[in-house]
Amino acid sequence: MSSYDDRDSGSDDEPFNPQAEIDEDDVPTNSAPVRRPAVTDDDDDDDDDAAQGGNNDDDDEEGGEGNDDDDEEDEEEDEDEDDIVTRPAKRRKKAKRNMFIDVEAEVDEEEEEEDEGDDDIQDEVHPDDLLETTNADLDDRHHRELDMRREVNAQKDVEELAKEFDEKYRRREMQSARRGATGAVPLALPTVNDPSIWSVKCRPTKEREIIMSIQRRIDEKMRAKQPVKVYSAFERGPNGPQSGYLYVEADAKQDMLEIIEGISNVFMSGEMLSIDVKERPDLLRKKRRPPLEVGKFVRMIRPPTYKGDLAKVVEVSGNGLDCIVQVVPRLDYGLNEDTNAAVDNKRKRGFFGPKVERPPQKLFSEADAKKRHMKHLTMAGSGAQRQYTYKGEDYVGGFLVKEVKVNWVSAERVNPKMEELQYFSTQNADGTETLDLIAVQAAQKAAETGAAFASGDNVEIYTGEQRGIRGTTVTVTGEIVTLRVSEGELKGRKIDAPVKTLRKLFREGDHVKVIGGSKYVDEVGLVTKIRDDKITLLCDSTQQEITVFSKDLKRAADSATVGADSNFDLYDLVQIDASTIGCVVRVDREVLKVVDQQGDVRTLLHTQVSQVAGRNRNAVATDRDGSEIRHDDNVKEYGGENRQGKVLYIHRGILFVQNRELVENQGIFVVRSTSVLTMAAKSGRAQTQDLSGLNPALNAGANGNSGPMPPPRSFGRDKLIGKTVIIRKGAYKGLLGIVKDTMNDEARIELHTKNKQVSVKKELLSIKDPITGNSMPIGGGKFPDRSRGGYSGSTPSYNSGSGRTPAWGNGGGRTPGWGGGGAAGGRTPGWGGGGGGRTPGWGGDGGRTAYGGGDGGRTAYGGATAYGGATSYGGATSYGGGTAYGGNDGNRTAYGGFNSGGRTPGWGGSGSGNTASKSNLSAPTPGAYNAPTPGAYAAPTPGGYGAYSAPTPGGPMDAPTPGNYSAPTPGDRYGVTPAAAPTPGAWDISTPAPSGEDPVYH
Amino acid sequence: MIPGGAFVPPNQQRNLRACMVCSIVRTYTQFMNGGCPNCEEILELTGNSENVNDCTSQVFEGLITVADTSKSWVARYQRLEGYVPGVYATQVEGILPEEIISAIEAAGINYVPRDGSEDQMIPKD
Repeated sequence: MSSYDDRDSGSDDEPFNPQAEIDEDDVPTNSAPVRRPAVTDDDDDDDDDAAQGGNNDDDDEEGGEGNDDDDEEDEEEDEDEDDIVTRPAKRRKKAKRNMFIDVEAEVDEEEEEEDEGDDDIQDEVHPDDLLETTNADLDDRHHRELDMRREVNAQKDVEELAKEFDEKYRRREMQSARRGATGAVPLALPTVNDPSIWSVKCRPTKEREIIMSIQRRIDEKMRAKQPVKVYSAFERGPNGPQSGYLYVEADAKQDMLEIIEGISNVFMSGEMLSIDVKERPDLLRKKRRPPLEVGKFVRMIRPPTYKGDLAKVVEVSGNGLDCIVQVVPRLDYGLNEDTNAAVDNKRKRGFFGPKVERPPQKLFSEADAKKRHMKHLTMAGSGAQRQYTYKGEDYVGGFLVKEVKVNWVSAERVNPKMEELQYFSTQNADGTETLDLIAVQAAQKAAETGAAFASGDNVEIYTGEQRGIRGTTVTVTGEIVTLRVSEGELKGRKIDAPVKTLRKLFREGDHVKVIGGSKYVDEVGLVTKIRDDKITLLCDSTQQEITVFSKDLKRAADSATVGADSNFDLYDLVQIDASTIGCVVRVDREVLKVVDQQGDVRTLLHTQVSQVAGRNRNAVATDRDGSEIRHDDNVKEYGGENRQGKVLYIHRGILFVQNRELVENQGIFVVRSTSVLTMAAKSGRAQTQDLSGLNPALNAGANGNSGPMPPPRSFGRDKLIGKTVIIRKGAYKGLLGIVKDTMNDEARIELHTKNKQVSVKKELLSIKDPITGNSMPIGGGKFPDRSRGGYSGSTPSYNSGSGRTPAWGNGGGRTPGWGGGGAAGGRTPGWGGGGGGRTPGWGGDGGRTAYGGGDGGRTAYGGATAYGGATSYGGATSYGGGTAYGGNDGNRTAYGGFNSGGRTPGWGGSGSGNTASKSNLSAPTPGAYNAPTPGAYAAPTPGGYGAYSAPTPGGPMDAPTPGNYSAPTPGDRYGVTPAAAPTPGAWDISTPAPSGEDPVYH
Repeated sequence: MIPGGAFVPPNQQRNLRACMVCSIVRTYTQFMNGGCPNCEEILELTGNSENVNDCTSQVFEGLITVADTSKSWVARYQRLEGYVPGVYATQVEGILPEEIISAIEAAGINYVPRDGSEDQMIPKD
């Protein structure tokens, strides 16, 4: 059927044709040889009988050398010579001779004979033949097949045969052409005789279209029977380094230009280079796509949504064109859908316009899909095997499981990152997650370079022929590491080794640090096990065993600094979300462990924690007793476990307390502030603060001397002035005097004893009542003083008021009985006469109205005619004076006169001057006081009553009074008073006389 | 030459497939209707969608238009000699089913995959 033999001989004779060797390999494996000999026989017949054109063609194409051999063979076969004869030919001959004889043995023998016998010839015998001789059993079948076919052929008529032959030859022709597909590549190396190849620039990604356009032109030319001067044109796809280039094979540049002229996307103005002969094979160099294997990690190329994403191959189809990959979905579940968009089925072209942000990677969520796209979602299976079909795509275990063409993924330069790999880690039964280290390794190996090796590293070749050689890295160039052998017979020699076969040399017990390649970066540990280039080490920090590649390790002198690149530190207070805050209790490379305000431990990626919240220096909380708690205070849980510790953070009544003795959560626990007791405040701060300090009202009071009332101030004149004082100490001790003036703490005192003024400290003075001589508290300005004075004064005033009444009022009231005592003399004094007498309260008015003074007497009392008879008055007068008066004049108010008299300064006159007053004091006062009083009351009353009509006393008085008293006033006065009578008479005498009962005076 | 020419209009270029044996590039419909002009005897693609799917591949790279398969060095290098002029691929991915490979081998063709593995088997000087 085919020209196996032909091919064999042809290609076999190419001494350097590796293709031939491939053939040999293929032949036995593919069971093709079974039929081959038979077929070959046919072909050989054909060769013999009919044209050798096809054969020759082949030979021409493949090279001249084979031609001769073929011919030779043919001839030899024809001649049935046995020297160089190839086996099949022989077989054919034998079959012809007798097809029923099993000739296998013979053949073998012949072959052997040939081999043994003739050395010269042996050279020409192809090893192929020798090989085939051993396939005796196969040959047997060939023979039978051949026989059957021959029988069939024999029954065909000649024409049919001819037709068949014809067809065979045509096929053969084709087959010979196909032979190109089977090898002969070395022959295909370009020569100077071959057409030139030009490279032309074109628009990348448009290469295919351009080739098709060229094809169209060629088609047209062929249709038009025009010569096509271009032999071929090709491109190498938009992804490789030759994208944007077009290559045209033609004899002349003009031909090339002609065919590409005017084709769009070809840059005619660009440089067109004729490719050098030697470089031409490179134009067509192919790179085998690394085969996809299940479990391998790949990068997605298409569809655009998943471009660049890491995917795991789940299945590869038998034809190697499709594969099923597992990829983390990027779904928006219709959230960004434009519901108003018109429904159109046209595929949108994504080439232009703004690129839509693709959704983030996230495992498939049933809940999200149900939200909006329930209609697109169907489910199957249950539990972990649950599958979803969402919008025509399948999701298993959260992954999108997608069938893609192999050219949609790339197995090169995958370099999976740990973040991506975390999705693909598999959950173990015990809850830990592990990654398929082998798959990761496979993915990472692809990009392996010598970068992990540094000059001076101790390395060992752990695989391959040179296995076991150890040395020190000298240089690293790409993937080739040059090392100087340090042990063994090759010691001292430099050898090159690919990175793939090397591992860094560590010994068990070495202290190493992970420098890359896995999530364990920066872990430091002790090497415990070494297998191939995988090393197991016991981490210092976690006490876990981890396995990493030796290339990711280096000898470590330092200790672990895991998490050094983290933004977070142990015991940082971090904001987890708007309402949650937590305290970092562990910092890992990838995750943080945080105790939140509920006391729960959370494991968070660094990126999930927004920021360090920091400590609020002013934060204050209160414990269950209301005592204040601040940072760094020691607190103790009340109840519960009675844990205690130092307050690390205060957050809204929640305390993060640290106790180094606790193991859990690095000694951090969370309590409510109301469930702890403060143990001791830092810096001895007062535990209970006086809250009254916060009361502004009290605060204000605290400024001055607190007291119920401020003492009244004394303004103006010193009240001491004018007071009668006694000196209690000093040279003048015991002397009485009157304060004339004061200055600061001294007072000038006018002594009573001798007319002299002395200065005495105020504190040495005691105020004496000028009348009674009683001591009075110092501070004349003080109220009690005054009141007293008032009293004392008032009394007389009363008297005087009443005194105004004719009877004696004058004397008492008006007269300065007192008033005189008042510094002001007659009238003024405080209250003295003036006030008392004059004021209506009592004195004047009362007196006047009531008594009418003189008038009063007249009016009121006048009206009181009851007294009217003067008598009445007189008698009536409880005021004896009145009585006296009444008696005085009988009816007519002696008053008037009296009045005037009384009024008259009789007194005043007499009382003018200090002395006068003094005298007033001592003398008149008593008069005013005592004398009249008793007179008025005691004496007259009785008199009045008793002797109503006997106002006599007055009578007698009258006379003497004036007389008695030199001064009219007194005269008057005393005259008035019944007592006056005695008074004038003689001071002493009179006194007893009137009252007798009045010892006070003395 | 292929009747009607080997040109494929741009709107059909999405459906291009390459024969895994001879690497000729045609549309799926063309394969279905006309088979592979070079390997039809063995592959019998015409009207047989299963075979078309098995023996032709959508995954291929690099297009070559060859006007003269005998004189072109490119054709020779690509092992396209004797094939019909037309459009071929430089590299075709895919694995032929075992039985097809057997059939090809039985047809006396030493099948060499066109997925680029060949280049790696040949040591470069």
